[in-house]
Amino acid sequence: MADDRSSFDAVVEGPKPSSEVTADLVKLDSPSEAHPSVLALQDLFGEAILRHELVATDQHIVFIPPDRSLEILTWLRDDPDQQYDLLRDVTAIDYGGGRPLQVVYQLFSFFHKQALRVKCELPLDALEIDSVYGLWVAADWLEREVYDLFGITFKGHPDLRRILMPPDYAEGHPLRKDFPLRGRFSRAEQTRRALSQDLEHYYFESELERGGESQALPPVDEPEALPQVEDHQALPPAESGGGSGKGVEATE
Amino acid sequence: MGLNDEAPPPVIGKSPGLLGEGTPAFLTSKVDFLVNWARRNSLWPMPLGTACCGIEMMASYASDFDLARFGMERMSFSPRQADVLICAGRVTYKFAPVLRRIWDQMPQPKWCVSMGACASTGGVFDVYSMVQGIDTIVPVDVYVPGCPPRPESLIYALMMVQEKIKQESLDQHSALRAEDPAAVAKPRADSDEIASLSGPFGNSTKQNRVSGLVQTDAISRPDDRIP
Repeated sequence: MADDRSSFDAVVEGPKPSSEVTADLVKLDSPSEAHPSVLALQDLFGEAILRHELVATDQHIVFIPPDRSLEILTWLRDDPDQQYDLLRDVTAIDYGGGRPLQVVYQLFSFFHKQALRVKCELPLDALEIDSVYGLWVAADWLEREVYDLFGITFKGHPDLRRILMPPDYAEGHPLRKDFPLRGRFSRAEQTRRALSQDLEHYYFESELERGGESQALPPVDEPEALPQVEDHQALPPAESGGGSGKGVEATE
Repeated sequence: MGLNDEAPPPVIGKSPGLLGEGTPAFLTSKVDFLVNWARRNSLWPMPLGTACCGIEMMASYASDFDLARFGMERMSFSPRQADVLICAGRVTYKFAPVLRRIWDQMPQPKWCVSMGACASTGGVFDVYSMVQGIDTIVPVDVYVPGCPPRPESLIYALMMVQEKIKQESLDQHSALRAEDPAAVAKPRADSDEIASLSGPFGNSTKQNRVSGLVQTDAISRPDDRIP
Protein backbone atom coordinates (compact mmCIF):
# COMPACT_ATOMS: atom_id res chain seq x y z
CA MET A 1 0.00 0.00 0.00
CA ALA A 2 1.35 3.42 -0.91
CA ASP A 3 2.18 5.83 1.89
CA ASP A 4 0.13 8.73 0.52
CA ARG A 5 -3.16 6.92 0.86
CA SER A 6 -5.50 8.29 3.47
CA SER A 7 -8.34 6.41 5.07
CA PHE A 8 -10.81 8.55 3.13
CA ASP A 9 -9.62 7.12 -0.18
CA ALA A 10 -11.30 3.84 0.54
CA VAL A 11 -14.57 5.69 1.21
CA VAL A 12 -14.31 7.62 -2.06
CA GLU A 13 -13.48 4.53 -4.08
CA GLY A 14 -16.37 2.55 -2.65
CA PRO A 15 -16.45 -1.14 -1.87
CA LYS A 16 -13.92 -3.36 -3.55
CA PRO A 17 -14.27 -6.96 -4.68
CA SER A 18 -13.03 -9.32 -2.03
CA SER A 19 -10.11 -10.52 -4.15
CA GLU A 20 -8.55 -7.05 -4.11
CA VAL A 21 -9.05 -6.72 -0.36
CA THR A 22 -7.19 -9.93 0.38
CA ALA A 23 -4.39 -8.81 -1.92
CA ASP A 24 -4.06 -5.66 0.20
CA LEU A 25 -3.87 -7.64 3.39
CA VAL A 26 -1.21 -9.94 2.09
CA LYS A 27 0.88 -6.97 1.08
CA LEU A 28 0.50 -5.39 4.51
CA ASP A 29 1.71 -8.50 6.27
CA SER A 30 5.24 -8.10 4.98
CA PRO A 31 8.44 -7.86 7.03
CA SER A 32 8.97 -4.25 5.98
CA GLU A 33 5.94 -3.23 8.03
CA ALA A 34 7.28 -4.96 11.11
CA HIS A 35 6.93 -3.44 14.53
CA PRO A 36 10.25 -2.41 16.22
CA SER A 37 9.33 -4.35 19.35
CA VAL A 38 8.56 -7.43 17.29
CA LEU A 39 11.95 -7.29 15.60
CA ALA A 40 13.67 -6.84 18.95
CA LEU A 41 11.72 -9.73 20.44
CA GLN A 42 12.63 -11.99 17.55
CA ASP A 43 16.30 -11.03 17.90
CA LEU A 44 16.44 -11.58 21.64
CA PHE A 45 14.10 -14.51 22.22
CA GLY A 46 14.34 -16.28 18.87
CA GLU A 47 12.40 -19.52 19.04
CA ALA A 48 10.23 -18.25 21.90
CA ILE A 49 8.48 -15.88 19.50
CA LEU A 50 6.23 -18.50 17.96
CA ARG A 51 4.34 -16.40 15.48
CA HIS A 52 3.78 -12.82 14.37
CA GLU A 53 0.53 -11.61 12.90
CA LEU A 54 -0.73 -8.31 11.65
CA VAL A 55 -4.44 -7.53 11.80
CA ALA A 56 -6.60 -4.44 11.35
CA THR A 57 -3.90 -2.66 9.33
CA ASP A 58 -1.52 -1.92 12.18
CA GLN A 59 -2.19 -4.18 15.13
CA HIS A 60 0.79 -6.45 15.67
CA ILE A 61 0.26 -9.71 17.50
CA VAL A 62 3.06 -11.78 18.97
CA PHE A 63 2.47 -15.35 20.07
CA ILE A 64 4.66 -16.56 22.92
CA PRO A 65 4.71 -19.81 24.89
CA PRO A 66 2.91 -19.61 28.26
CA ASP A 67 5.86 -20.95 30.25
CA ARG A 68 8.01 -17.98 29.18
CA SER A 69 5.27 -15.35 29.23
CA LEU A 70 6.34 -13.73 32.48
CA GLU A 71 9.95 -13.44 31.35
CA ILE A 72 9.06 -11.89 27.99
CA LEU A 73 6.45 -9.52 29.41
CA THR A 74 8.86 -8.39 32.11
CA TRP A 75 11.40 -7.59 29.43
CA LEU A 76 8.78 -5.69 27.42
CA ARG A 77 7.96 -3.59 30.43
CA ASP A 78 11.51 -2.92 31.63
CA ASP A 79 13.65 -2.64 28.52
CA PRO A 80 14.35 1.05 27.81
CA ASP A 81 13.58 0.60 24.12
CA GLN A 82 10.19 -0.98 24.84
CA GLN A 83 8.80 0.44 28.12
CA TYR A 84 5.30 -1.01 27.82
CA ASP A 85 4.17 0.66 31.02
CA LEU A 86 0.41 0.38 30.46
CA LEU A 87 -1.50 -2.88 30.52
CA ARG A 88 -4.65 -1.94 28.67
CA ASP A 89 -6.38 -5.27 28.87
CA VAL A 90 -6.06 -8.90 29.81
CA THR A 91 -8.65 -11.10 28.22
CA ALA A 92 -9.04 -14.51 26.64
CA ILE A 93 -10.57 -16.03 23.53
CA ASP A 94 -12.10 -19.44 23.04
CA TYR A 95 -12.44 -20.37 19.38
CA GLY A 96 -14.14 -23.65 20.24
CA GLY A 97 -13.66 -26.99 18.62
CA GLY A 98 -11.15 -28.12 21.22
CA ARG A 99 -8.66 -25.50 20.12
CA PRO A 100 -6.44 -23.89 22.74
CA LEU A 101 -7.64 -20.86 24.65
CA GLN A 102 -5.77 -17.67 23.93
CA VAL A 103 -4.81 -15.28 26.70
CA VAL A 104 -4.43 -11.78 25.30
CA TYR A 105 -2.32 -8.98 26.75
CA GLN A 106 -2.90 -5.61 25.18
CA LEU A 107 0.11 -3.42 25.94
CA PHE A 108 0.82 0.22 25.33
CA SER A 109 3.96 2.26 25.78
CA PHE A 110 3.37 5.89 26.73
CA PHE A 111 7.01 6.72 26.11
CA HIS A 112 7.28 5.25 22.60
CA LYS A 113 3.59 5.69 21.81
CA GLN A 114 3.14 2.26 20.38
CA ALA A 115 0.90 -0.68 21.06
CA LEU A 116 1.57 -4.39 21.04
CA ARG A 117 -0.69 -7.38 21.53
CA VAL A 118 0.82 -10.47 23.10
CA LYS A 119 -0.97 -13.80 23.03
CA CYS A 120 -0.38 -17.08 24.80
CA GLU A 121 -2.09 -20.25 23.71
CA LEU A 122 -3.13 -22.59 26.52
CA PRO A 123 -4.22 -26.14 25.73
CA LEU A 124 -7.56 -27.02 27.32
CA ASP A 125 -5.99 -29.55 29.68
CA ALA A 126 -3.47 -27.07 31.12
CA LEU A 127 -5.24 -23.78 31.72
CA GLU A 128 -2.54 -22.18 33.82
CA ILE A 129 -0.36 -19.15 33.26
CA ASP A 130 1.75 -16.85 35.39
CA SER A 131 0.01 -13.80 36.75
CA VAL A 132 1.31 -10.42 35.61
CA TYR A 133 -0.01 -8.74 38.74
CA GLY A 134 3.61 -8.18 39.79
CA LEU A 135 4.28 -6.22 36.59
CA TRP A 136 1.08 -4.23 36.23
CA VAL A 137 -1.28 -3.88 39.20
CA ALA A 138 -4.07 -3.30 36.66
CA ALA A 139 -4.01 -7.04 36.03
CA ASP A 140 -5.70 -7.68 39.37
CA TRP A 141 -9.37 -7.48 38.35
CA LEU A 142 -8.70 -8.27 34.69
CA GLU A 143 -7.20 -11.62 35.59
CA ARG A 144 -9.99 -12.29 38.04
CA GLU A 145 -12.46 -11.69 35.23
CA VAL A 146 -10.64 -14.09 32.89
CA TYR A 147 -10.51 -16.66 35.68
CA ASP A 148 -14.22 -16.20 36.35
CA LEU A 149 -15.44 -16.41 32.76
CA PHE A 150 -12.86 -18.76 31.18
CA GLY A 151 -11.51 -20.79 34.08
CA ILE A 152 -7.86 -19.92 33.48
CA THR A 153 -5.77 -20.03 36.64
CA PHE A 154 -3.23 -17.25 37.09
CA LYS A 155 -0.37 -18.52 39.21
CA GLY A 156 0.79 -15.96 41.75
CA HIS A 157 -2.34 -13.80 41.69
CA PRO A 158 -2.92 -12.50 45.22
CA ASP A 159 -6.71 -12.83 45.27
CA LEU A 160 -7.96 -15.11 42.52
CA ARG A 161 -11.71 -15.53 42.95
CA ARG A 162 -14.82 -14.87 40.92
CA ILE A 163 -15.57 -11.23 40.22
CA LEU A 164 -18.69 -11.09 38.01
CA MET A 165 -20.54 -14.31 38.72
CA PRO A 166 -21.74 -15.09 42.26
CA PRO A 167 -19.06 -16.55 44.51
CA ASP A 168 -20.86 -19.89 44.82
CA TYR A 169 -21.61 -20.18 41.09
CA ALA A 170 -21.43 -23.88 40.28
CA GLU A 171 -22.23 -24.04 36.57
CA GLY A 172 -18.74 -23.45 35.25
CA HIS A 173 -17.17 -20.67 33.26
CA PRO A 174 -19.74 -18.96 31.05
CA LEU A 175 -17.65 -17.57 28.20
CA ARG A 176 -16.26 -20.97 27.23
CA LYS A 177 -17.67 -22.22 23.94
CA ASP A 178 -18.83 -25.48 25.52
CA PHE A 179 -20.98 -23.56 28.01
CA PRO A 180 -24.69 -23.62 27.06
CA LEU A 181 -26.18 -20.17 26.54
CA ARG A 182 -28.78 -20.53 29.29
CA GLY A 183 -26.47 -22.17 31.80
CA ARG A 184 -26.32 -25.78 32.90
CA PHE A 185 -29.07 -25.78 35.52
CA SER A 186 -32.78 -25.32 34.98
CA ARG A 187 -34.22 -21.85 35.48
CA ALA A 188 -35.94 -23.00 38.67
CA GLU A 189 -32.68 -24.31 40.09
CA GLN A 190 -30.87 -21.14 39.05
CA THR A 191 -33.52 -19.02 40.78
CA ARG A 192 -33.40 -21.13 43.91
CA ARG A 193 -29.61 -20.97 44.07
CA ALA A 194 -29.62 -17.23 43.40
CA LEU A 195 -32.03 -16.51 46.23
CA SER A 196 -30.12 -18.68 48.68
CA GLN A 197 -26.99 -16.54 48.25
CA ASP A 198 -25.61 -14.91 51.34
CA LEU A 199 -25.39 -11.23 50.49
CA GLU A 200 -22.61 -10.72 53.02
CA HIS A 201 -20.43 -12.91 50.77
CA TYR A 202 -19.78 -9.91 48.59
CA TYR A 203 -17.82 -8.15 51.29
CA PHE A 204 -14.59 -8.88 53.05
CA GLU A 205 -14.95 -9.29 56.76
CA SER A 206 -12.83 -6.18 57.23
CA GLU A 207 -15.26 -4.19 55.03
CA LEU A 208 -18.22 -5.18 57.16
CA GLU A 209 -16.28 -4.27 60.31
CA ARG A 210 -15.40 -0.90 58.87
CA GLY A 211 -19.09 -0.06 58.50
CA GLY A 212 -19.59 -0.86 62.17
CA GLU A 213 -16.72 1.31 63.26
CA SER A 214 -17.91 4.40 61.41
CA GLN A 215 -21.31 4.14 63.07
CA ALA A 216 -19.83 3.89 66.54
CA LEU A 217 -19.64 7.13 68.53
CA PRO A 218 -16.15 8.45 69.20
CA PRO A 219 -14.96 8.00 72.76
CA VAL A 220 -15.76 11.00 74.95
CA ASP A 221 -12.67 11.16 77.12
CA GLU A 222 -9.28 10.79 75.52
CA PRO A 223 -6.71 11.59 78.17
CA GLU A 224 -3.84 11.54 75.66
CA ALA A 225 -5.41 14.07 73.30
CA LEU A 226 -4.70 17.23 75.30
CA PRO A 227 -0.99 16.66 75.99
CA GLN A 228 -0.47 16.17 72.25
CA VAL A 229 -1.87 19.62 71.53
CA GLU A 230 0.41 21.11 74.15
CA ASP A 231 3.38 19.47 72.46
CA HIS A 232 2.45 21.16 69.20
CA GLN A 233 2.13 24.44 71.04
CA ALA A 234 5.77 24.22 71.95
CA LEU A 235 6.72 24.02 68.27
CA PRO A 236 5.50 27.36 66.77
CA PRO A 237 8.74 29.31 67.35
CA ALA A 238 10.54 26.85 65.12
CA GLU A 239 7.77 26.61 62.50
CA SER A 240 5.93 29.29 60.62
CA GLY A 241 2.42 29.63 59.24
CA GLY A 242 0.53 26.39 59.96
CA GLY A 243 2.38 25.78 63.20
CA SER A 244 1.34 29.09 64.75
CA GLY A 245 -2.25 28.46 63.60
CA LYS A 246 -2.34 25.31 65.67
CA GLY A 247 -1.11 27.26 68.63
CA VAL A 248 -4.02 29.71 68.35
CA GLU A 249 -6.52 26.83 68.19
CA ALA A 250 -5.05 25.30 71.29
CA THR A 251 -5.34 28.53 73.28
CA GLU A 252 -8.99 28.89 72.29
CA MET B 1 -79.44 28.82 39.71
CA GLY B 2 -79.91 25.07 40.14
CA LEU B 3 -78.80 24.34 43.64
CA ASN B 4 -79.81 27.71 45.02
CA ASP B 5 -83.38 27.33 43.81
CA GLU B 6 -83.94 24.18 45.80
CA ALA B 7 -85.33 24.19 49.29
CA PRO B 8 -82.69 25.03 51.94
CA PRO B 9 -81.30 21.98 53.73
CA PRO B 10 -82.60 21.31 57.20
CA VAL B 11 -80.71 23.20 59.87
CA ILE B 12 -78.85 20.91 62.21
CA GLY B 13 -77.30 22.64 65.15
CA LYS B 14 -75.82 26.14 65.02
CA SER B 15 -72.24 25.46 63.91
CA PRO B 16 -71.12 26.44 60.41
CA GLY B 17 -71.31 23.31 58.28
CA LEU B 18 -68.96 21.83 55.71
CA LEU B 19 -70.85 23.35 52.80
CA GLY B 20 -71.85 26.65 54.42
CA GLU B 21 -74.02 28.00 57.17
CA GLY B 22 -76.53 25.52 58.40
CA THR B 23 -75.20 22.48 56.53
CA PRO B 24 -74.04 19.33 58.36
CA ALA B 25 -70.65 19.41 60.04
CA PHE B 26 -69.92 15.81 59.19
CA LEU B 27 -69.68 13.48 56.20
CA THR B 28 -70.65 9.92 55.78
CA SER B 29 -68.48 7.65 53.72
CA LYS B 30 -67.19 4.13 53.54
CA VAL B 31 -64.00 3.16 55.38
CA ASP B 32 -62.85 1.29 52.28
CA PHE B 33 -63.21 4.41 50.18
CA LEU B 34 -61.37 6.62 52.64
CA VAL B 35 -58.54 4.17 53.23
CA ASN B 36 -58.09 3.49 49.53
CA TRP B 37 -58.29 7.21 48.76
CA ALA B 38 -55.52 7.91 51.21
CA ARG B 39 -53.40 5.02 50.04
CA ARG B 40 -53.64 5.57 46.33
CA ASN B 41 -52.91 9.28 46.45
CA SER B 42 -49.70 9.07 48.40
CA LEU B 43 -47.89 6.14 46.87
CA TRP B 44 -44.25 6.45 47.75
CA PRO B 45 -42.16 4.63 45.18
CA MET B 46 -39.04 2.61 45.87
CA PRO B 47 -37.05 3.23 42.70
CA LEU B 48 -34.92 0.32 41.58
CA GLY B 49 -33.36 1.52 38.34
CA THR B 50 -30.84 -1.02 37.10
CA ALA B 51 -30.66 -0.10 33.41
CA CYS B 52 -31.98 2.23 30.73
CA CYS B 53 -35.53 1.93 32.11
CA GLY B 54 -34.17 3.73 35.15
CA ILE B 55 -33.47 6.76 32.96
CA GLU B 56 -37.07 6.83 31.78
CA MET B 57 -38.19 6.44 35.38
CA MET B 58 -36.10 9.47 36.35
CA ALA B 59 -37.65 11.38 33.46
CA SER B 60 -41.06 10.48 34.86
CA TYR B 61 -40.15 12.10 38.16
CA ALA B 62 -38.72 15.20 36.53
CA SER B 63 -40.64 18.33 35.71
CA ASP B 64 -41.98 17.40 32.27
CA PHE B 65 -44.00 14.46 33.50
CA ASP B 66 -43.94 15.12 37.24
CA LEU B 67 -45.14 12.11 39.15
CA ALA B 68 -45.72 14.44 42.11
CA ARG B 69 -49.10 15.09 40.53
CA PHE B 70 -49.99 11.58 41.66
CA GLY B 71 -48.83 12.04 45.23
CA MET B 72 -45.43 10.50 44.49
CA GLU B 73 -43.19 13.44 45.09
CA ARG B 74 -41.01 11.57 47.51
CA MET B 75 -38.70 8.93 46.10
CA SER B 76 -38.31 6.59 49.00
CA PHE B 77 -34.78 5.32 48.87
CA SER B 78 -35.42 3.26 51.97
CA PRO B 79 -37.70 0.27 51.41
CA ARG B 80 -39.02 0.74 54.94
CA GLN B 81 -40.98 3.82 53.88
CA ALA B 82 -42.01 2.72 50.39
CA ASP B 83 -45.33 1.60 48.96
CA VAL B 84 -44.55 0.75 45.32
CA LEU B 85 -41.49 -1.09 44.13
CA ILE B 86 -40.69 0.08 40.61
CA CYS B 87 -38.25 -2.42 39.18
CA ALA B 88 -36.87 -0.62 36.15
CA GLY B 89 -34.30 -2.62 34.24
CA ARG B 90 -32.75 -6.01 33.94
CA VAL B 91 -32.20 -8.15 37.00
CA THR B 92 -29.36 -10.64 37.15
CA TYR B 93 -29.34 -13.74 39.29
CA LYS B 94 -26.61 -12.12 41.31
CA PHE B 95 -28.92 -9.19 41.99
CA ALA B 96 -32.01 -11.33 42.62
CA PRO B 97 -31.49 -11.73 46.39
CA VAL B 98 -31.13 -7.96 46.70
CA LEU B 99 -34.43 -7.43 44.92
CA ARG B 100 -36.12 -10.01 47.11
CA ARG B 101 -34.67 -8.50 50.28
CA ILE B 102 -35.88 -5.03 49.30
CA TRP B 103 -39.35 -6.46 48.68
CA ASP B 104 -39.29 -8.28 52.02
CA GLN B 105 -38.27 -5.10 53.79
CA MET B 106 -41.17 -3.08 52.42
CA PRO B 107 -44.10 -2.91 54.84
CA GLN B 108 -47.63 -3.76 53.82
CA PRO B 109 -49.54 -2.49 51.98
CA LYS B 110 -47.14 -2.69 49.04
CA TRP B 111 -47.34 -3.03 45.30
CA CYS B 112 -44.88 -3.85 42.57
CA VAL B 113 -44.49 -2.48 39.07
CA SER B 114 -42.29 -4.39 36.64
CA MET B 115 -41.08 -1.77 34.20
CA GLY B 116 -39.82 -2.76 30.78
CA ALA B 117 -39.25 -5.93 28.82
CA CYS B 118 -36.20 -7.09 30.80
CA ALA B 119 -37.78 -6.86 34.22
CA SER B 120 -41.00 -8.45 32.96
CA THR B 121 -39.61 -11.33 30.89
CA GLY B 122 -35.84 -11.12 30.71
CA GLY B 123 -36.18 -9.35 27.38
CA VAL B 124 -33.46 -10.09 24.88
CA PHE B 125 -31.27 -11.44 27.67
CA ASP B 126 -32.32 -15.06 27.52
CA VAL B 127 -28.96 -16.10 28.95
CA TYR B 128 -27.33 -17.83 31.88
CA SER B 129 -27.05 -14.77 34.08
CA MET B 130 -30.45 -13.14 33.81
CA VAL B 131 -33.67 -13.56 35.77
CA GLN B 132 -36.43 -14.33 33.25
CA GLY B 133 -39.03 -12.00 34.68
CA ILE B 134 -39.04 -10.69 38.22
CA ASP B 135 -42.41 -12.36 38.78
CA THR B 136 -40.40 -15.48 39.57
CA ILE B 137 -38.91 -13.57 42.53
CA VAL B 138 -41.59 -11.16 43.75
CA PRO B 139 -45.32 -10.79 43.03
CA VAL B 140 -45.93 -8.19 40.34
CA ASP B 141 -49.08 -6.07 40.11
CA VAL B 142 -48.54 -4.23 36.83
CA TYR B 143 -46.22 -5.00 33.94
CA VAL B 144 -45.12 -2.15 31.69
CA PRO B 145 -44.19 -3.20 28.14
CA GLY B 146 -41.56 -1.30 26.22
CA CYS B 147 -37.83 -1.18 25.76
CA PRO B 148 -37.63 1.14 27.55
CA PRO B 149 -41.21 2.33 28.16
CA ARG B 150 -41.85 6.02 27.80
CA PRO B 151 -42.75 7.98 30.95
CA GLU B 152 -46.39 8.01 29.83
CA SER B 153 -46.38 4.22 30.06
CA LEU B 154 -45.03 4.30 33.59
CA ILE B 155 -47.59 6.92 34.58
CA TYR B 156 -50.32 4.77 33.08
CA ALA B 157 -49.02 1.77 35.02
CA LEU B 158 -49.09 3.74 38.26
CA MET B 159 -52.63 4.85 37.49
CA MET B 160 -53.46 1.17 37.03
CA VAL B 161 -51.99 0.53 40.46
CA GLN B 162 -54.29 3.27 41.75
CA GLU B 163 -57.24 1.58 40.06
CA LYS B 164 -56.21 -1.69 41.66
CA ILE B 165 -56.10 -0.04 45.08
CA LYS B 166 -59.61 1.30 44.49
CA GLN B 167 -60.88 -2.28 44.20
CA GLU B 168 -59.43 -3.35 47.54
CA SER B 169 -61.58 -3.78 50.59
CA LEU B 170 -60.59 -4.07 54.22
CA ASP B 171 -62.38 -7.38 54.55
CA GLN B 172 -59.89 -8.82 52.06
CA HIS B 173 -57.03 -7.38 54.04
CA SER B 174 -55.85 -10.58 55.66
CA ALA B 175 -55.98 -12.38 52.33
CA LEU B 176 -54.30 -9.64 50.27
CA ARG B 177 -51.87 -8.20 52.75
CA ALA B 178 -50.79 -11.15 54.85
CA GLU B 179 -47.06 -11.64 55.33
CA ASP B 180 -45.68 -15.13 55.43
CA PRO B 181 -42.36 -15.31 57.28
CA ALA B 182 -41.68 -18.67 55.66
CA ALA B 183 -41.73 -17.03 52.22
CA VAL B 184 -38.97 -14.53 53.00
CA ALA B 185 -36.04 -14.76 50.60
CA LYS B 186 -37.69 -17.57 48.66
CA PRO B 187 -38.75 -17.56 45.01
CA ARG B 188 -42.34 -16.47 44.56
CA ALA B 189 -43.21 -19.27 42.17
CA ASP B 190 -42.66 -23.01 42.38
CA SER B 191 -40.35 -24.85 40.02
CA ASP B 192 -42.94 -25.68 37.39
CA GLU B 193 -44.18 -22.11 37.23
CA ILE B 194 -40.66 -20.74 36.95
CA ALA B 195 -39.94 -23.19 34.14
CA SER B 196 -43.05 -22.15 32.27
CA LEU B 197 -42.49 -18.44 32.91
CA SER B 198 -38.89 -18.49 31.81
CA GLY B 199 -39.05 -20.96 28.97
CA PRO B 200 -37.17 -19.89 25.88
CA PHE B 201 -39.10 -18.01 23.26
CA GLY B 202 -38.38 -15.83 20.30
CA ASN B 203 -37.02 -16.36 16.83
CA SER B 204 -33.45 -17.06 17.84
CA THR B 205 -34.31 -20.32 19.50
CA LYS B 206 -36.94 -21.61 17.03
CA GLN B 207 -39.25 -21.85 20.00
CA ASN B 208 -42.34 -19.93 20.88
CA ARG B 209 -44.23 -19.75 24.13
CA VAL B 210 -47.48 -19.81 22.20
CA SER B 211 -46.44 -22.83 20.21
CA GLY B 212 -46.84 -25.40 22.91
CA LEU B 213 -44.89 -24.34 26.02
CA VAL B 214 -42.30 -27.00 25.36
CA GLN B 215 -39.00 -25.97 26.78
CA THR B 216 -35.97 -26.78 24.69
CA ASP B 217 -32.61 -27.59 26.11
CA ALA B 218 -29.51 -25.52 25.54
CA ILE B 219 -29.26 -24.28 21.99
CA SER B 220 -27.25 -26.57 19.83
CA ARG B 221 -26.06 -24.79 16.72
CA PRO B 222 -23.03 -26.67 15.45
CA ASP B 223 -22.74 -24.29 12.52
CA ASP B 224 -21.72 -21.51 14.88
CA ARG B 225 -18.62 -23.36 15.98
CA ILE B 226 -15.44 -23.00 14.04
CA PRO B 227 -14.30 -26.60 13.38
